[in-house]
Amino acid sequence: MEGAKQAIFEYCRKHGALAAGVADLAACERIAPPGHRPRDLFPRVKSVISLGVGGQTQGAWQLPAKAMAYSGSTEARAYKIAYGLAFFIEHKFGAPSVYVPPDMDPEAGPRVPLQSLKLHAELAGIGARSLAGDILLHPQFGFMYYASVYTELELEPDAPMQDNPCPAPSCVNLYRQTGRTPCMKFCPAQCLSGEVDAEGRQKMMRYDMAACAEFTQQYEAVPKILAEAVADEVRSAGGERLLDPDTKMLWYKVSAGSGAWFAQCFECMRVCPIATRAPQADPILRRKA
Amino acid sequence: MARGLTRAQLGVTDAMLATFGDIVFRMSHNLQVREGDPVRRLDWEAIERQREAMGLADGQIAARLGLTRQQVMFIRNSEESRRFRTGQQAYLLDLGGGRRFRAEKVVRLEERFSYSADALRLRDTFRFDAALARRYVERGWWGNDTLPGWLARNAAARPDAPALVLAGQVVSWTELQQRVLRFAEGLRSAGVAAGEVVAVQLPNIPEFVIAYLAICRLGAVMTTLHMPYRGMEIAALARHSRARMAICLGEVKGSSPAAAFLDAGTKVVVVGAPVPGALAFADLESSSPLARDWPAPVAADPFVLLYTSGTTSAPKAVPHSYHTLLSNARLSVPEHGLSADDRVLSAAPFTHLFGLYALHCAWACGAASVLLPAFTPRDLAELIAKERPTALWTAPAHIAAARAMGLLEGERWSSLRLAIMSGSACPEELVRDFAARVPRCAVTQLWGMTETQAGLYTRPQDAIEMHARSAGRPSPGTEVRIADGGELQVRGCLLFPGFYDNAEANAGSFTPDGWYRTGDLAVMHAEGSVAITGRVKDIINRGGMKFNPADVERLLDSHPKILQSAVVPMPDPVLGEKACAFVTLRDASQSLTLEELVAYLLQMDIAKTKLPEKLVVVSEMPLTPTRKIIKGKLRLP
Repeated sequence: MEGAKQAIFEYCRKHGALAAGVADLAACERIAPPGHRPRDLFPRVKSVISLGVGGQTQGAWQLPAKAMAYSGSTEARAYKIAYGLAFFIEHKFGAPSVYVPPDMDPEAGPRVPLQSLKLHAELAGIGARSLAGDILLHPQFGFMYYASVYTELELEPDAPMQDNPCPAPSCVNLYRQTGRTPCMKFCPAQCLSGEVDAEGRQKMMRYDMAACAEFTQQYEAVPKILAEAVADEVRSAGGERLLDPDTKMLWYKVSAGSGAWFAQCFECMRVCPIATRAPQADPILRRKA
Repeated sequence: MARGLTRAQLGVTDAMLATFGDIVFRMSHNLQVREGDPVRRLDWEAIERQREAMGLADGQIAARLGLTRQQVMFIRNSEESRRFRTGQQAYLLDLGGGRRFRAEKVVRLEERFSYSADALRLRDTFRFDAALARRYVERGWWGNDTLPGWLARNAAARPDAPALVLAGQVVSWTELQQRVLRFAEGLRSAGVAAGEVVAVQLPNIPEFVIAYLAICRLGAVMTTLHMPYRGMEIAALARHSRARMAICLGEVKGSSPAAAFLDAGTKVVVVGAPVPGALAFADLESSSPLARDWPAPVAADPFVLLYTSGTTSAPKAVPHSYHTLLSNARLSVPEHGLSADDRVLSAAPFTHLFGLYALHCAWACGAASVLLPAFTPRDLAELIAKERPTALWTAPAHIAAARAMGLLEGERWSSLRLAIMSGSACPEELVRDFAARVPRCAVTQLWGMTETQAGLYTRPQDAIEMHARSAGRPSPGTEVRIADGGELQVRGCLLFPGFYDNAEANAGSFTPDGWYRTGDLAVMHAEGSVAITGRVKDIINRGGMKFNPADVERLLDSHPKILQSAVVPMPDPVLGEKACAFVTLRDASQSLTLEELVAYLLQMDIAKTKLPEKLVVVSEMPLTPTRKIIKGKLRLP
């Protein structure tokens, strides 16, 4: 089992993943809501593999917001690795595997995923929740995009990270002076707030996801824009159809899901010392290390 | 809908939406609160305790509220859509590249500037033929020239050079820019916004220039009123232009323009002595400068709304963008041979486009403007002698008047290298005589209209014959043609888009292929120069025999007793129309009879059908600001 795990991690590393880990399946099942648990999707799943990609140059963090929004996302790279990894496991170990679809489930709730890739990564120990709306951060790799593979191959789960890198010491200092960390201060939607305890750890995180989405999840604007375009002030049956969850998925697919529209604004990550100065996110530094 | 089911199928009512919309929204993942770090620590008690605070899925909310999952789905989607504000990503677009979000600097989208209905109405006038507009851009005629842009450029390139010269007082480009920015801030704080019309009725004084440039800096639009206008004209033009503010004198020759504007409901800024109810120009100019990042106008913006001289009909409003007027000025500066070393004097008032053209040309090349507040022959001659301008914008009547007073004699005009005569038909003899008296000065002619600015002009290097007998060749970017019937038609990058708020005038003013009917009669000479021969509307139809009275007027003007003449049609029951001559006399104590006049004309070998059949001697002619006779105001006794 240990050899298989090493082979899987090696595959991930060779194909560009910064980090990989195995989440505890039982914990996933216990924490995810009904309908969104690994076994709801893949009943004979034995292991949940999570991998992360990312890494931006220092220059990339200086891009205008519009350019960051269009070019900052690297999730497609993660999906590609996970997609290949599922085949790799099947060929190498003969265990049925599946690349976990990263899309949303508009029938479940607002911006609720089919399966929580964030939960997998957190339980697999390759990210910890930050004050920036629960975006996962890693002390060495910073801000990553995650992808998951479910497999019938049994693998030893990893433990969550021992320590949470958020808030960084400089953020604690700012919080103590102003009551806000940089991500809270510079969020254009002002959707973040929270508290840091006396030891400099997260005490409370508050995230107004609806406000955040107004700035970034532009696919959600489509039905309203269309309704306004036809002056559908009284919600007609046609107008209501625009809001149908299945139709909403269509907006997502033709917009953010196609990689063509805003899906993140990155302003909280732009001011995050963990995201922007992660030493191992830089492949040259990583090789030297 | 949810899963294709309608609201009726789900049993969702408006009452249900109103009752549960808020709680469904809040219980979902839209608002999340997390205490500590329970998942990473696998703190199961905390995870369970915080499930609701971290947000519930629709099925979980349904179980908590006693609704079906599909009902929750429908209610949540409706509520999210109701709350969702579109366009919020616009706030992001100024971030990055070193710029961070600052809550205190955010102006909400709905609170940001929008043009007023009046401003949009004016902007809607600017419709050009798309193919022609593309051509003007491709040829480099239309760029992004604006007056604030030119002012900033001149202030940067020639900060200490003179921009304005008036009675020994010199205003440098830097000082002019500072005064403009301060007054612009004053106007802004007094309520002037981009796109709004501001009326200006001032003589050619620095305050006119400052007001003009400040209005432009704010993206507003200047309309001018000629100095002789009084209450009736002021009320009419303030109403038609929808001017939000007027900048004028408190008192002119016993009349109060400020009071007239106030009566018309227009805010007033007064130059000079204070007027109750009006703001003081000096107070507005003492403001702090306009913020550097205050949005600057662009070349497609309207910036002037000028009323035609209205010699034959009621005034019509002519809007111009920077594209039309500044392309014409920029392209014309080298044709006139002007440079930054020149000192340009306009005898014409700045309330008229010919006067503004002097400013535009000076600013296009960074030349100084010598200001003559109001024309008198003596003031003009003395200013030229004292301030030594090199270029003079003048009407023929100005030169004729100066000559009549013997003011062209001597060396006082010797600084002039260029004179541009325009505003009315220029007698050939006057051009030759003026050119002979100022031998180092090129005496040129220019034909233009409020609708075009400078359409035709002779160039300094042209022969005196061309200066004397024609209005010259088209300016760069301008096309002219002579239509059937002899009417001059024009189009090009200088042409206004159409009259503001006057569909009737627009309908008859343009040919189907986009040429502007100038209403002037013209002939084109072999070498391409154009001579203006009269006005289409002045044609007299005497029993079917049509003739242009300009020929008769030219002969009358050469009569030793006559100072000015105008021949107009008078109704006749038999022939339809006959000619009536109005004249002013050089010596009012003398007399002139119709018989004497006819004998003189017959001596000149003129057709008898063109002879005036009535003579009216008047003490003075009704004149436009450029000294053109307003025939429409001549009343038959």
